[in-house]
Order: sequence, then C-alpha cells, then structure tokens
Amino acid sequence: MSAPAAAAPPVRRGPPPLAKFGVPLALAAMLVAGTVLIPEFASPANLTTILLHASINAIIALGMTFVIVTAGIDLSVGSIVALAGVLAARTLTSAAVLGAVGPVGAALLAIAVGLGVGAALGLLNGGAVAYLRVAPFIVTLATMTIARGTARLVTGGVPVGYPDPGDAGYAAKVAALDVLHGLGGGRLPVPGLPSGFPVPALVMLLVIAVGAFVLTRTRFGRYVYAVGGNEEASRLSGVPVPFVKLAVYAIAGACSGLAAVLLVGQLRSGGPDAGTFYELNAIAAAVIGGTSLLGGTGTAWGTLIGALLLGVLNNALDLLGVQAFWQEIAKGGIILLAVLFDVWVTRTSAAAATKS
Amino acid sequence: MALLALRDVTKRYPGVTALDAVDLEVEAGTVHALVGENGAGKSTLLKILAGAERADAGTIALDGTVLRLTSPRDGLRCGITVIYQEFALVPSLGADANIFLGMEPMRRGLLDGEAARRDAARALGELGAAFDPSTPVSRLSTAECQLVELARALVRDARVIALDEPTAALSTRETAHLFVQMRRMAERGLAVIFVSHRLEEVRAVSSTVTVLRDGRRVWTGPTAQVDEPALIRHMVGRDVEYERLAAQGGRGAGAGGTSDVVALEVRGLARRPRFADVSFTIRRGEIVGLAGLVGAGRTELARCLAGADRWDAGEVLLGGRPFRPRTPGDAIARGLAYVPEDRKTQGLILGLLVRENATLPSLRRFTRFGTLRLRAERDAAAAQIAAVELAPGTLERPAGTLSGGNQQKVVLAKWLLADADVLVVDEPTRGVDVGAKIEIHRQLRALADRGKAVLVISSELPEVLALADRILVMRAGRLSATFAAAEATPELVLAAALPEGHAA
Repeated sequence: MSAPAAAAPPVRRGPPPLAKFGVPLALAAMLVAGTVLIPEFASPANLTTILLHASINAIIALGMTFVIVTAGIDLSVGSIVALAGVLAARTLTSAAVLGAVGPVGAALLAIAVGLGVGAALGLLNGGAVAYLRVAPFIVTLATMTIARGTARLVTGGVPVGYPDPGDAGYAAKVAALDVLHGLGGGRLPVPGLPSGFPVPALVMLLVIAVGAFVLTRTRFGRYVYAVGGNEEASRLSGVPVPFVKLAVYAIAGACSGLAAVLLVGQLRSGGPDAGTFYELNAIAAAVIGGTSLLGGTGTAWGTLIGALLLGVLNNALDLLGVQAFWQEIAKGGIILLAVLFDVWVTRTSAAAATKS
Repeated sequence: MALLALRDVTKRYPGVTALDAVDLEVEAGTVHALVGENGAGKSTLLKILAGAERADAGTIALDGTVLRLTSPRDGLRCGITVIYQEFALVPSLGADANIFLGMEPMRRGLLDGEAARRDAARALGELGAAFDPSTPVSRLSTAECQLVELARALVRDARVIALDEPTAALSTRETAHLFVQMRRMAERGLAVIFVSHRLEEVRAVSSTVTVLRDGRRVWTGPTAQVDEPALIRHMVGRDVEYERLAAQGGRGAGAGGTSDVVALEVRGLARRPRFADVSFTIRRGEIVGLAGLVGAGRTELARCLAGADRWDAGEVLLGGRPFRPRTPGDAIARGLAYVPEDRKTQGLILGLLVRENATLPSLRRFTRFGTLRLRAERDAAAAQIAAVELAPGTLERPAGTLSGGNQQKVVLAKWLLADADVLVVDEPTRGVDVGAKIEIHRQLRALADRGKAVLVISSELPEVLALADRILVMRAGRLSATFAAAEATPELVLAAALPEGHAA
C-alpha cells in the first residue's frame, strides 16, 4: 500500500561523460572527415558559409529549445517565419513608410514588425497552451496553418520585395532592402578572412549566448527546466507554471520573427512560402543537441551544436555532389542516430543511478 | 487442500518491506476477508496475486501447482482476477468490449461482436445487471462497473476473485447486491478474497478473516470467532516503535511547549463531495496530527489549504488574517507550505539537482534582477542539506539518484528553506526506512520548537501518536474526533477513523 511507484522516471542531467561530449565529438569528426575528403571544405569562405546557412535554423531552434524543455512543441515556427517575413517586407517597401521615415527608419520598423508579429503569434500559442490547456501539438498545428494561409492571403501568393524598375519610389525601396540586407546578408570585415564574417552568424552567436544565460543563470530559466521536469511538483512549489509556458512560446515566436527579418534581408524579399519545414529542422537541431522531447533537459549551446552539425552535413553532402534526395535520407539517419544515442544515455545514466 | 496458497511471500521496496514472509490459504467456496491498516500490505498482496508486481521471495500455488506470474496477463490466464478500486476498464468502450478485452471472440480472423454481446449479456444477467451490454462504461455507475469487472471474471472462468475495497463507493442497496453476488460466486466453487476497512461488512460476508499488520500476517481464523474490538486490536496491536518527541518549548512557544498564538484557523471548510464542515486551529509551536483512512479527505483538505485546489465553503485565517490562496505560489508567499504526499510525482523534480530542488520555492530570495545569485543559492542549499543530515556530496546530484529516505529529506530541506509559518506535511515518512523516519520526526519537532505550526497527515498511527500534540481524525470527509496526545490510544484513533457504526 505504501509501495513507491515501481520505476522512477529516467534520471537526467547526470549523464556519463560521453553523453556530454558525444555530439560535439560527432561534429568534430564530421569537420575532420570533411577536411580530409573535400579539398575546398576547410576554406574560410566555406566555413563562414556553413555558419551563415546554419544561423537562421539555429535561432529558430533556440526558441524551440525553450518550448521543448517545458515538454511542449511548436510546429508553427516555419509559418511564423513566412507571415512575419511578408509583413516585414511589406513595411520595408511601403511607400508611405519610406516617405515618412526613410530607408533606415523603414528597416528598423521592419525589424520591429517581424519581431512583433512573431512574438504576438507566440503569445497566442502560449495563451492557448497555458490558459486554455490545449495540447501544444494541436495549438501550434492550427497556428501553423493559419499563419501560412494569412501570409498567402495578404500577398496573393507572390513574394513581397524587389520592386520593378518602373515602380514609383524604386530607388527608395531598393535602398531600404539594401539596408536590411546589411543585417541578413552582410559580412563584417575581419582580418585574415577575405570574405568577412557573416552578420547573421554573429546574430546567431549573440542569440545563443543570451539564451544560454537565460536558461542557466536566471530564475525564469530554472523555472523552464522545473516545469518540463515535473509540472505538478513545480506548481506545488509555487512556480507560476502558466506564465512560464506563455513565455516560452512567446520566445519561440520572437526567435522566428527575428529569423524572418534575417531571411528577408538575405533574400531581399519576403515570400509566403518561406520557412517551409523550418519547424522540423529546428526540432532536429534541438534534439540532436541533446534536448529531450520529454522535457526537462536541453541547453542553448547543445542546440547550436545540433544546428551546426546539420549545417555541416548539408554543406559536405553538397560539395560531394550528393543528390538532394540522398541528403534528406542522410539527415533523417542522423536524427535517428541522435535519438538512439539519447535513449542509450538515458538508460545508462538510469542504471548508474540505481547502482549508486 | 486450499485452492489458493501463498507461502512466505515477501516484497521489498527501497526502504520498506511491504510484505514479510506472508502465508495465506484461501479455500474454494469461501469468502476470505483481508483486513489491516493503511500500509499493512493488502494492496501489495493483491498486486502480487494479480501478477502486476513480482514477489522477491515465496510462492503462489493454485490447486497445488506453483504459478509463475510475470504479468497481469499470466494471472488472468491462471484464473486469478483482481478487481481494484480503480477499475481496469476502458471508459469509451462498451461493457461487452470491456468484458472480453484481451480475449475477444473471433470468427474467421475478425472480431465476433455478436458473440461478445451475447455472452456478455448472459454473464451480466447472471449477476443481476439491468443495462444494455453495449453501453459505454463511461455511462455506468460505480456499482455497474463493478458488475462489468465481475462479469469479466466469470467469462474468463476465474477461480479466484479478489476485490479491493469494493464497497467504498457503493450505497447500502448496491453493497447488499454485491454481497449476494460474492456469495453466489463462492457457492459456485470460486475463492473470493474481500479487502475492506468496514469490519461490519467483513463480519457479514466473510467466513474467514486474515489480519495483516506491517507486512506480516498476524491472525487468521473463522470470522465467527472474532468480534470487532478484537479485530481492531489485531490491526493496531504492535510495539510502539517511535520515541515520543515532546515539545521542548522554544522561541515563540509558551510554558506548555506550544504558544497561545493561533497560526492557522480553519472554519467550516468544505470541498464537496470530498470533505465538508472541517474546523480546527493550530497554534504556533504545535504539531497537529491528522489521522484517517486513505480517502477520508485529508489530502484534499491539505491541497485546498495549499492553494492547489479551491474550497467551496468556509474560511481560513492565517496569522489572524483571511487567507484564500489562488495558487500554491500565493500560499507560499503568505507563509503556508504544503509538502505533498508523493515525492516522486509531486514533491521533487527528479531530473533537477538536489540544490535546484531545494531552492525552487524560495528562488526569489536568490535572485537579483531576475538573475540567479548562484553562490548565495549554493550556500543556503548546502546549509539546509546539512541541517537535514544529508551528505554534502549530494548537493549537485540529480534528486532522482537518491534513495527514498534521502529524497524525503530533500523535500524537507526544500520546505525548511522556504521558511513558512505553517507547514502542512502529507505522509512525510511514507516509504522511508525507520532511521530516516526518526530523523524526519526530529526535524518536524525542531520546526515546531522554533515557533512554526505543523499539520502532519499520516496513515501510520504510531507516527501520529508519537509526533502530534493533538490528533484530529477524519472519516468520510468530516472531522470525527479530536484527541489530546495524552488521551489518544491506537484503538481510539482507529475506531474514530473506521466507517461509522463499527466503533470498538
């Protein structure tokens, strides 16, 4: 009658050393293999390209990490990228806005719109999850569809952005797009790097660093792990569980909004079909980086490693001339390996725990 | 020879021996009652019988053949059906589908729904059930669900049927009907095991009684040879294993150990149908025990005080001021902390470190502008861990890697750190070994001596008797008795806790 629960849930965050370094080691091994097998792989130009390509996924994946650590999921991030992107692009190329505040002002406003739209949609997701107690999968599936539909509706299905030479205010629009391109596609001159360092990669490192700080050094971050580890125990300990849930989805939305702005800058346009499958890439990066879908575990740096690993994989397979279809299969294999690894770690550390 | 024979059945969980070399023989054609206090081992015994748990030692024999039960499926196949209080039914499926769940009649590789309905109807008819066999179980009453469970046992040709407190939620009429069915099953040559707290019912329906206490069989005999006071004596009659921890009288305490300052006053509190009309006070420096059977409404009361659930009538004063917490966070901020019953699902976050668990309710104190002051957090957690006599090395280990007793100490450290004025502790020593128990008792007494008010919910009578300055007893959602520590005896408290009309 006083029997304790038969099996304790798997013990996390006390993994054997290999668990901590397994994924970084895998990334290192891929870098070594790439360097050996592919002549142009290790060039500064190629390595910075990998960083550039990984940056948008890494930023979205960071937001996703917050959500998954609370044992949630956000399927809407890709569609949020599309909607936030087209609205940001609209703002950027609007004659009224350009007339009022000029190209730099328009760019700043576009950034605000992108972030704001993303955060607002995230708040909607979070509100439904936290206060209406709808399953995150369902809520964000609905948002995913609604946001995508809205993006297509407001654009008529065609990308917003680069003006025709004959358009009124052509020069101002191009100027505004160029300003934002400085953020999304610009490169900072760095001595010894002929191609410079991509600005989005810098933004990515900044975002990851802030995310890492929030997760490990703030009360809110502790609450994120607590809610994911055991929601009821957290509630009984006075953790404001609904607020925490609301906040993580808002963070995921804002990260998607930021990614949307970078993407618009990079491409000089915002497309209603942008961001397709980004949610899956973000989940993959987080999971490869050690975030458990069961909640309670995951780190910002791990997610960065996961995104970089995917980036290196894509790049290497490209350079090797592997067909795109095979690339997809390879990516799936990596995700599967990561998950199997996670299961193995969980078992081993649980076994180690019962021995002690 | 007995139809069912358990020999030396032993089951240990970390820190506690739930069953200690228990023998039990149940004859075909009889109703055999199994009684004992909460924690005596009745449920564990049923789980082992069902194949849901495996015994660490001992044998189970049916008709002289030793069984190897490794899953509930094995138990069912051998003809043993256990009907738990929480029914093993799928609410969305019909009664017929539930009755044949796992052994669906098939015809040419497809489900034979017609046969299922027909046979289910016959089995239910034999049990005197008057509802359509295809009715979804979610629409049936508790008593009807019980009949579905019994029908399931019948169609499986069960030879042993065990019922765990089947009458707890039944009306008198439904109970009478159930007893008729139980006797009929016995007449058909089945062995029926009846677990109940209602001694009157035990005497009405069973021919043999076995009393379990602390995982041991203490008495077996014909029901006719024993009266209720004797049964109660068997149930509680053990050596008192705890030293009485008297109030020392410290800070905030008056001459008599406890002060006169009321810390918590509860007036006419109700959350229907779980409890109603509960009134009591706790003074600073006082430990009040809340005794009662599982399901008497004690945890529900505690959860309301903790802000985890709402009450629908009555009022509470905390430190003389009205108190109506909307969330546990509210309650903690106002100075009332609730230490929940189940440390694995409610008390701890097993994946977080001991330090992180310990500081979770009081994290605000270790935060500046939202940023954690890790050194201050670590120092405070380390000091508190030391105070509950946990090794310093445990501080940075995941809570899930600790033993049950040590986990409970982490829970205690966590709430000590929260520094609440009123502490509501639900089953503080469940599943921990005696050494850890005594240590936890010492900590609770030390808290009271520092002027805190402590409400201890415990199903262990010796614990309540050893620890509390005053004992409240709940029965079926109401306070049934209050005793001063000096006047309470195990017999008196148990009599007040057992269902009405059965007092010793």
